[in-house]
Amino acid sequence: MRKGITVHALVEAAVLVALATVLSVIVVYRAPQGGSVTPASMVPLLVLALRRGPRVGVMAGVVYGFLQLLIEPMVVHWAQLVLDYPLAFGLLGLAGFLGRQPYVAVVVAIAGRLASHVVSGVVFFAAYAPPGVDPWVYSLVYNSTYLVPEMALSLVVVFLLNAGTRGQILRKVG
Amino acid sequence: MSMFRDITIGQYLSGSSVVHRLDPRTKITIVGVFMVVLFTAASATAYGVLIAFTALAVALAHVPTGMLFRGLRPILFLLLLTFVLQLFLTRGRVLFELGPLVATWEGLRLGVFMVLRLLLLLVVASLLTLTTSPVSLTDGLEAILAPFGVVGVPAHELAMMMTIALRFIPTLMEEADKIMKAQMARGADFETGNPLRRVRSLVPLLVPLFVSAFRRADELATAMESRCYRGGTKRTRLNRLKAGALDALAAAATAVMALVVIGLRWWPFR
Repeated sequence: MRKGITVHALVEAAVLVALATVLSVIVVYRAPQGGSVTPASMVPLLVLALRRGPRVGVMAGVVYGFLQLLIEPMVVHWAQLVLDYPLAFGLLGLAGFLGRQPYVAVVVAIAGRLASHVVSGVVFFAAYAPPGVDPWVYSLVYNSTYLVPEMALSLVVVFLLNAGTRGQILRKVG
Repeated sequence: MSMFRDITIGQYLSGSSVVHRLDPRTKITIVGVFMVVLFTAASATAYGVLIAFTALAVALAHVPTGMLFRGLRPILFLLLLTFVLQLFLTRGRVLFELGPLVATWEGLRLGVFMVLRLLLLLVVASLLTLTTSPVSLTDGLEAILAPFGVVGVPAHELAMMMTIALRFIPTLMEEADKIMKAQMARGADFETGNPLRRVRSLVPLLVPLFVSAFRRADELATAMESRCYRGGTKRTRLNRLKAGALDALAAAATAVMALVVIGLRWWPFR
């Protein structure tokens, strides 16, 4: 296949996207306004990016974003749709750039996702709220309430998986 | 299993209505145009046109109205917040006072517009997923993204990934359920304790799931390679997307709607 995406990488990405989707419906804690903490739903995408590099990781994130859009659509603006779904999860693929430091990679990737949700929140406020509310602060605080715990939990899970498989799972392939 | 949320991937209802039969490319494009045009509407007339357009589409689609508003619950809070903020924070002629808060006529008008905007988005997005199966949505997206291949968008690979993922979600779901029950039979506890404890308890679920996912991926990739799958180039399909007269009609109607709504925004004699 062109540009070095092997059939194995493509299929592994697809199956891990399916796994992430399955895990995303196991809820550990639900935030008051929608965001929910699902301890491991980002982990398959992060593991994939670490194993197969940023390109495959970003592609898988985009596909996962579209699937989330189909499962629980929350659409308030066309730019918000792009920012909250394909882009936010696509940014998780950034983890692939930091394969040597998996824990730093997890933090960077989830920070990328957070940034996308924050901008999307600002778009929402620009379109719907009257002037006088600082959208950046509100959006950052709101999105952090569920993503920061989720980041901590993802780190724990990646650590446990890495220890449990003696580093096999995160080893770079292909 | 109580820990699983109810999940339906794209709440597709099969049918043979005019809307069901439209080409997915047409439907995705119409929804995209509608979403952008919606944000230029700023008068009652413009909203009237948008509501009429949406109502026509809903009537033609023959889907139960209740299904269209199924996605309402997660945005209910937003609807309320938006309406209240607009009502009280917009300056203008006084409608009523509530302690220090002053509601205005202008606020009421804007509040109603914003709520209509959110509701129209919700209905139109639901209509797309109700009348288009996930697989044809994927085909449509692939076709729409294909021209961006020249700037490096791997449309075919993304669509193939989506199709395989859709195929494996039910399989892995069943497997997760089975593994959970097996571990619970051995005394695993997924549902009590603080969040950290619960995450730890998920490891005996996650490790087998990952192992099985890798194994399935390996088997499928080998099967595909041995049948000479080599990506999108020069690949032929069994069912080709065909746009017909119906699609032309729908596109024309959308174009008229878009021109009227955008025209109303900048029309000098309102």
